[in-house]
Amino acid sequence: MKKKIGKALVVGSGISGIRAALDLAEFGYGVILIDRLPHIGGILSQLDYQFPTDRCGMCKMLPLVDRDASSQYCLRKGLFHENIQIRLSTELTSVEGEPGHFQVTLRQKPRLVDPVLCVGCGECVKVCPVEVPDSFHAGMTTRKAIYLPVPHAIPNPYVIDMEACTRCGDCEAVCPTDAIKVSEHIHRDFRVLVVDDELIVRDSIKEWLEDEGFTVNVAASGPEALDILSKQSYQLMLTDIKMPGMGGVELLQKAKEDFPDICVIMMTAYATVETAVEAMKIGASDYLIKPFEPDNLIQMVFQKYQEHEAASEAPIEVGALVLCGGTAYFNPSEGENTFGYGVYPNVVTSLDFERILSSAALQQGRLVRPSDSKPLRKVAWFQCVGSRDIKIDADFCSFVCCMHAIKEALVAKERAEDELEAAIFYMDMRTFGKSFQRYRCQAETKHGVRFERGRVHSIIQDEASGDLIVGHVDYTGTHKEEHFDMVVLSVGQRPAPGTAELAEMVGISLNQWGFCKAEPFSETLTSQEGILLGGSFSGLKDINDSVIQASAAALAASLVIHTTGGSLLLEPKSHEPFLDISQEPPRVMVLVCTCGDTLSKLFDPQQLARRLKTDPGVDRVFFLEQTCTAAGWENLVELVEKHKPNRILIGACIPYLYSRKTRELGRRVGLVPGLIHVVNLRLMDQLSKLKDETPSADEITAIIHELSSILGMGLARLKWADPTPAPRVKIFQQALVVGGGIAGMTAALAIADHGFQVDLVEKEEMLGGNLTWLERDLEGNITEIILEKTRHNLEKHPLIRVHTRSRVLGSYGQVGRFYTTIEDKAKGTFTLEHGVTILATGGMEATTTSYNYDKSEAIITQKELEQKINDNKLHPSQLESVVMIQCVDSREEPRNYCSRICCDTSLKDALCLKRQNPDIDIYIFYRDIMAYGFVESYYTQARKAGVIFIPYDVAEKPRVTVTDGSIQVTASEPIIGQKIRLDADLVVLATGIVPTLPKDLAEAFGVTVDQDGFFQEAETKWRPVDSIKEGVFACGLAHSPRNIAESIATARAASQRALRILCHEHMPAGKVVAEIHHSLCSLCEQCIDACPYGARTLDLDLEKVIINPAMCQGCGSCATVCPNSASTLVGFSDRQMLDVIDSAFE
Amino acid sequence: MNPLEKLESEQKSETAPALVIDSLASIRDMVSACIQCGTCTGSCPNAFAMDLTPRQLWYNVLRGEKETIFHSKTFSLCSVCYYCTLRCPRGLPLTEAMSALKQIAAKENLAPYKKSTRFYKSFLESVYRHGRVREMELMTLYFISMKNPFLPLQFAPLGIKLMGKGKISFEIPSKGNGALKAIFRKVEELEQN
Repeated sequence: MKKKIGKALVVGSGISGIRAALDLAEFGYGVILIDRLPHIGGILSQLDYQFPTDRCGMCKMLPLVDRDASSQYCLRKGLFHENIQIRLSTELTSVEGEPGHFQVTLRQKPRLVDPVLCVGCGECVKVCPVEVPDSFHAGMTTRKAIYLPVPHAIPNPYVIDMEACTRCGDCEAVCPTDAIKVSEHIHRDFRVLVVDDELIVRDSIKEWLEDEGFTVNVAASGPEALDILSKQSYQLMLTDIKMPGMGGVELLQKAKEDFPDICVIMMTAYATVETAVEAMKIGASDYLIKPFEPDNLIQMVFQKYQEHEAASEAPIEVGALVLCGGTAYFNPSEGENTFGYGVYPNVVTSLDFERILSSAALQQGRLVRPSDSKPLRKVAWFQCVGSRDIKIDADFCSFVCCMHAIKEALVAKERAEDELEAAIFYMDMRTFGKSFQRYRCQAETKHGVRFERGRVHSIIQDEASGDLIVGHVDYTGTHKEEHFDMVVLSVGQRPAPGTAELAEMVGISLNQWGFCKAEPFSETLTSQEGILLGGSFSGLKDINDSVIQASAAALAASLVIHTTGGSLLLEPKSHEPFLDISQEPPRVMVLVCTCGDTLSKLFDPQQLARRLKTDPGVDRVFFLEQTCTAAGWENLVELVEKHKPNRILIGACIPYLYSRKTRELGRRVGLVPGLIHVVNLRLMDQLSKLKDETPSADEITAIIHELSSILGMGLARLKWADPTPAPRVKIFQQALVVGGGIAGMTAALAIADHGFQVDLVEKEEMLGGNLTWLERDLEGNITEIILEKTRHNLEKHPLIRVHTRSRVLGSYGQVGRFYTTIEDKAKGTFTLEHGVTILATGGMEATTTSYNYDKSEAIITQKELEQKINDNKLHPSQLESVVMIQCVDSREEPRNYCSRICCDTSLKDALCLKRQNPDIDIYIFYRDIMAYGFVESYYTQARKAGVIFIPYDVAEKPRVTVTDGSIQVTASEPIIGQKIRLDADLVVLATGIVPTLPKDLAEAFGVTVDQDGFFQEAETKWRPVDSIKEGVFACGLAHSPRNIAESIATARAASQRALRILCHEHMPAGKVVAEIHHSLCSLCEQCIDACPYGARTLDLDLEKVIINPAMCQGCGSCATVCPNSASTLVGFSDRQMLDVIDSAFE
Repeated sequence: MNPLEKLESEQKSETAPALVIDSLASIRDMVSACIQCGTCTGSCPNAFAMDLTPRQLWYNVLRGEKETIFHSKTFSLCSVCYYCTLRCPRGLPLTEAMSALKQIAAKENLAPYKKSTRFYKSFLESVYRHGRVREMELMTLYFISMKNPFLPLQFAPLGIKLMGKGKISFEIPSKGNGALKAIFRKVEELEQN
């Protein structure tokens, strides 16, 4: 086994940061994952329910391959992976160097609570006198200055809000583990010298700074200052400019000569500002104009202190940076129209409402409004608050809010057991993603969510009841007034704070609204090689797109690291192979953490030891103080190395914290990780049960009993633990890509560029797919550039074999080894061996018979229009009137999905025609213009160019009639409430996309297709390019309708997912996998149906059920359905479990 | 020549002349970015009395439906409160567009807006003469311009009511010193450009 040595930095630990970090870590790179917040999870730590399941599901992102390398635990609570180093409350301060060899400096905010020592007992919160609004709960509740940043994290150390903290030190006094250090300021080592000839000035500055915890000394003149400097080192000097004798500037010069590292701030009266500026040229770092406020001075000193700390932090070399900084949200109270937000308590934002939904659990599931605890019965959602608003420079759509609102409405309805009326006021319902449209339809028809088209301007509060009065108009112009219990504002995106600074630091460009800008045809690449964008940093994305983009960014990062030599230097893992102890009787070493002297204060630990030793399996029992600290753990390792047990049981708190440590220990002493077990003694719980300081003998006996029972359960598990190492699956390190469009080619190149052989199968003679006829995208980028570049790189790549005019006849096998038969028109039939498969079979424009398509040559599809424009067969100057009809046969059953790109295309075509002939009348009939994200600005452009947009309802579609070669379009125009009739020279139908993923091909690879024929992903949000069957991935149009950049992102994501398998010669399975006793198996095949991961197959030759241990996720479904107990789960044998239960009730 | 004297002989034509179309183009540009969200209609305090809602009016402007526009009284009912302009998410100058429509109607002396145009002009004439409105004179000018002998009778009840409340001044209006003339001249020049 070899290990890669490349390293990447992921900035931001939201959902995309986690995805990118896990992808890189699974591929074998070291990852530093930083976040400026003291917790991981980003915005999703505040969102409990996600569409379309209306549940969480974040844990589905955890590694499925080599899963013991990471935590297998609720991902909202925490993350651990042996290759990921997580650094919280940390910011990136500088980036130097070149791709592959960036030198980055990180700065961690000073922590006043030691996260290792903090046990989360909460004593500090009880005594803290400061109360501030709780930002996690959107300010609806209050918290103390010392608080938990998120309620659910594990480990969950307290942090101190430095802005609110008064440094009273009460918490420090009550902390049982001495984790808090408030009064003993960490910046005491930062020494400041104040030089001023006026006593009052230097003394008051000294006092201010000492109050902040700095060490301060004073000098009355230049020579005195130099004298003090020569005796002791100082980090900062504040000096007056005008002093008798040696002036400030001279002092600066002399001080800098002798102590070049010292930072100097000049203090000056207004008259000598120019001197101060001059002083900065010769080395002063800043200046302050007298008189100044103490706050200004303190702020500047803190800034210098932080710069000093950052400079003392050694730079780290990383190969690539993935920026996953997320977005911020619009604050309505800062806008032109506040909708009463911040004034009326019952006007909340969509994020606030998430917390209300979440806190419903605390209110016994009742959904009440926080202001007066009135049950919510009628709630309105206002869309596009802070989006699609040119007035506040927001000519963009915020991508997620429509679905967010529908989800909130549905969850609210469910919480209120359907006694809640939900209305969504919208302009266009942007349900452009896969399965979004059906979700919306269900919300409307099945669950009764009301969709009101129209924008509400303002809200009036009914003073007596606190209800909100909303006035709106319908299409006919009728005014309606409605009362709502609560109004939810669907707030739009804004760039994350610090985006501009970060972009400037790394040298990447921003778009006109301040979001990071990606290169053409890419969502992840920036103008700087090696610096990638993930998730919402380049504009808000939903989870699915964030995850895809993060994987794509991980791939690009990995490629940079790989090509600059990061993965070429392979080093063997230094550990010894695991010991074979299968023939030895269990010799368990029990190590109990006494949590300082907490346990030994209560009773003699030997009482517990004697009880445990009655079990013959127990070899030795030791008591240790604080195994959670580095020193405590060293003691433990020493004991293990000295006595060499063959099983280890550790009793401590929060077993989860020990995952990484126990793996390392296992490697060091040659024990399979399953043979080291950590149990939670719940010492704090036991103590909290005690009535007073000196417990009675009965109470002590009860505690000893409880502890020995907990340890006994651990012993029972260990004694029966299987000592054999986890099984491994050999990987045939080659890939097959089916489909040679832009997605397939991108995927093939991505894998081959990492040094693995790829076979690409394409049914046509030419590679390129839809890009062969598509000339430009909406932004005007020419597709030929990307197509030619990709095709060229692909064709000359030594590791790619291209099979054109070929097709897959059949396939057999599983992850690690597939056998696929290919029929090549030129070369005949042959069989390929490969470890993974990527399906990129693409899609095409749907055909239609609607709108009299076949009756006239002037009724064409979007593709035909595109081709006519490209081939110069269309002369815009001869056109007078063009009608475009959107959603042809789409967004209604049976094709009830949005094809995502047709609105883009119509905008592109309309603008193109208008450019060539501004006098053409262009009418676009639409249901909802899906100009999501920054496409919105093109919608505005088209409007401004004079394109007329006419909405239509699916029940009353426009009618196209052909009489004597001329075409008329009649429709009812809902805004004026009249029938209109248009003569059209050209009618363009947006028929949308249908996939070309043949059922037999999908079946051959064991993947399912959804009801529309697209690839069915394992999980739409969290595993968007994986299939349920491990080792098969999909991308491009076969996956879902997408534009070029988005298709390329899916291709890169799919290759990244494939690479994390291909990179192993032998892929380790998890330690908990299913086993089968063939002698007991009756081949009833129930387990095959029960397995949700497709890990089981019936081998007809051997007449046996075969389990692929790499695909098995250890869920145990097979064991429960097996009528003969032939199927069992390693680590969960019947004897073992019964023993554990016995110990629990002992 | 004062504004009232400029009042040309009535045009009986029902269709708008070519000039209207040209001026409509500039109004169309003003509202071209409209997404028909309905905020203007929802905000308009006079929408209840309008035959076309503001949203419908803008739609007709976009479509160039001059027939419909210049048979609707919507824009003549605009009281220039600026709510729609303030609230439009697209930042469109809607009140300005309303005024531009009024100007076309006045310039072309379109029949449906006879009353309102003449009322405006009588109002301005009174201001032109005295620097402020003299209600008696305003109404007299208006009645004269309408050339309808029964019209004063229609307004009689309202007039009596207002008189009862002391809202109508019977002072003999002063002639003023003519300082306003310069301003009116300047506006005239600007309008001609």
